[in-house]
Amino acid sequence: MKTPEMESREPLQWGEIDPYRRGRAHVGMWAWLLQRISAVFILLFLGLHLAYTYKPFLQFMLFLTLIFHAALGIRVILLDCNLVNIKYQRYLIPWVLGIGLAIMAVVWFIIY
Amino acid sequence: MQSKQTLRKVKIYRYDPEKGGEGQFSTYDLNIENPAITTILDVLIRIQKEQDPSISFRYACRVNMCGSCGMVINGREGLACKTNVSHLPAGQDITLRPLNHFPVIKDLVVDMGPFFTKYEDALPFFEPKMKHDEPYIIKADDPKRVDIGMATDCIACGCCVSSCTMVNNHEGYAGPAALNRAFTLLADERDALFVPRLTRALESCYNCRTEFNCTEVCPKQISGTRSIKYIQRLAVTHLKELKPLEAHPAEELPPKPPKEEPDTPCCCKAGHAADPSRRSFLKTAAGMVGIASSVGIAGVLGVAAVAPTLASNPKQWVPAGTLKDFPVGGISTIMLSYTRTQGFHSAAVNAPILVRRDSETEFLCFSSSCPHLGCSVAWDPLSARFKCACHGGAFDKDGNVLAGPPPRGLDRLPWKIEDGIIKVEVV
Repeated sequence: MKTPEMESREPLQWGEIDPYRRGRAHVGMWAWLLQRISAVFILLFLGLHLAYTYKPFLQFMLFLTLIFHAALGIRVILLDCNLVNIKYQRYLIPWVLGIGLAIMAVVWFIIY
Repeated sequence: MQSKQTLRKVKIYRYDPEKGGEGQFSTYDLNIENPAITTILDVLIRIQKEQDPSISFRYACRVNMCGSCGMVINGREGLACKTNVSHLPAGQDITLRPLNHFPVIKDLVVDMGPFFTKYEDALPFFEPKMKHDEPYIIKADDPKRVDIGMATDCIACGCCVSSCTMVNNHEGYAGPAALNRAFTLLADERDALFVPRLTRALESCYNCRTEFNCTEVCPKQISGTRSIKYIQRLAVTHLKELKPLEAHPAEELPPKPPKEEPDTPCCCKAGHAADPSRRSFLKTAAGMVGIASSVGIAGVLGVAAVAPTLASNPKQWVPAGTLKDFPVGGISTIMLSYTRTQGFHSAAVNAPILVRRDSETEFLCFSSSCPHLGCSVAWDPLSARFKCACHGGAFDKDGNVLAGPPPRGLDRLPWKIEDGIIKVEVV
């Protein structure tokens, strides 16, 4: 279906001229974005980790980004495979991140 | 009765197609007596009647049925007729803006053409498998009917497409509303178009990033994400029926330009750069990233696995015994037990050595391994020779070959005396 030719403005984009948009909690979107960003940081810290192997700070940062990436990945798997009812998707994000960080804390204090 | 408390600022996005440009907000002051029973649509109608008759907006049913008045209300997509002023934070101005991702015709009116084009791509009509004269009976507690739930309530208002950050970036993505419609029909056991519908819908589903923006804003509380995930799970159970769909026109490769003279054997030459097809770019990028990461990982693993065997074996000093253990003029066989550590590998070694003591401070230490094939060599006091049991090799007391196949004499080991303990350097 072709729309008739008329003068129209280009589509507005998400958040464009939208004073209140960013105050809204689109948690799922930020979860997705955080996972993408953490992937980039994993590459960065993995490279640094290979170069400087036994630096606790680098190990900690690599571990942290890995935990974030894994937890948010598990969130998507849980939702994809219908293992968690989709109506709890908002609560799922703090839960997977919290459990991930708790596991990280335990492992970190066992190692060091 | 006009007081400070009831006066609200209303900012409405204005775009005039005759003037063009980016569009801007116009501000109106409106006295809203009772925010709990005043909808945004009431606000718009009042402003149009009382203040500015040139404002354009769509509405029809006023009761959340038709989906005409979808707009972005204070940063969130919703129906103007369903959102009350009291739903918005009291401190905020009322900000009204047309839906995202649709061409703006005038003010709050958008062109829904692209939406319905995509909607039609998802085959949104029901085609029965067979003709029924009697009404088909589906029980209310039928699991499939329960799965569909209220997803059939979609009124195609476009709020989900406006909130989805993926629709605009993927030309072939049908969007949550169309996929939700496809889901309601796919889950219907009477549907005759299952395979073509699933094939088309699945291609779109790959673009969903599980963001749940559509679920957050849907005025009918339908979850587009749930529908998309349902279609994907449905596809897993019907893998054999699915055939790959042809590329969407937007993703198709443009005809290849005639090949130029290959001047440099580089993969990123000018011909590629002038051909910015999304799919070919993604393929190249994915290939590059794949190659780079496999080389990196292979390098690290290879070095870890191979390097210790390439490095020269680390030597260490191992105590063989105190001076008292070795009678002067005698030859003793001592079993050395030590750990050989190399890189990440460590191994327990038990190796016999032969120690000959000539005087208080003169020793000779031989490895007991025969230079021929590595059998254990022992001192035979009767013939005063070192003898190898395997192939009859014989050595004199200095370790030189007397008989048999050994190519050279016994290997001598460096030794030293520290604090009355004799130490031997071994590998």
